[in-house]
Amino acid sequence: MSPTQHIDPRGPRFAAGITTVVLAVVLITGWWPLLAAQAVVFAAGAFAGLRYSPYSTLYRAVVAPRLGPPADREDPAPPRFAQGVGFAFAVVGTIGYATGLTALGIVATGLALLAAFLNAAFGYCLGCEMYPLVRRFVARSGENAA
Amino acid sequence: MTGLVITLVIFAVGIAIGLVLRARDGSIRLTRPGSARSSAAADLPAPVVRAIDPESRITLVQLSSAACAPCRQAHARLSAVAERSPDLHHAAIDITEQPGVGSALGVLRTPTTVAYDSTGTEVLRVTGVPDTGALVHALRPHLSPAT
Repeated sequence: MSPTQHIDPRGPRFAAGITTVVLAVVLITGWWPLLAAQAVVFAAGAFAGLRYSPYSTLYRAVVAPRLGPPADREDPAPPRFAQGVGFAFAVVGTIGYATGLTALGIVATGLALLAAFLNAAFGYCLGCEMYPLVRRFVARSGENAA
Repeated sequence: MTGLVITLVIFAVGIAIGLVLRARDGSIRLTRPGSARSSAAADLPAPVVRAIDPESRITLVQLSSAACAPCRQAHARLSAVAERSPDLHHAAIDITEQPGVGSALGVLRTPTTVAYDSTGTEVLRVTGVPDTGALVHALRPHLSPAT
């Protein structure tokens, strides 16, 4: 296998739990600066690397020492991909709320919440599961454009 | 108030989706003989045709993608079961590199494993991480009587 540093899979799941709470608060209150802050958290995880995400730092500092070593480790690429998907939705949502397109803000935040909740509660990475579907759509629109 | 209602609806939808996904994970669907998929052996995409081992009774073609943690788990299980049985051959195709394969086979999620017999006729498919015991049991009619 590749020499990439594998990570404790409970870290991204813990982060998805915090993300779920944050996004639910955004939806209930409509307070978009919190969504903008979540977008920054997503960006840190997706573009700088998972270990630079504040939630991941919190996990390593507070939660992991109490849990003991993980049973297995996983490749950080899939959860990092998912952070990128989350970032896109958080940015669209923030723009929606901030510019008065509240419906857009609600839809984007709602979809991100759904994905984060599925990850936290069931361990499903929606972004990764849908990858072939997205890929097929991109290939098809590419054919139409040609 | 609207936000609270929407949030509750999203949690309800999330629980429903999660339960359906959990129930379908690893489920085996037999391909009906004579159906479009089973008779389309001649129309299989080239990477699948190359993957099928004519010497093995069954080839398990596993479709994976790059950003997919369960694919690694599925890969480990399938290669272990193929190592134990001379009737089984395991091949992996990354549809990140070959997106045409996924759309040609109508695969929406990875990992999906499609079992072909030596002539390229589809026998069954498994979505998610397969339970190898149930998989071998479902393939039994196609394997040597001794195994």
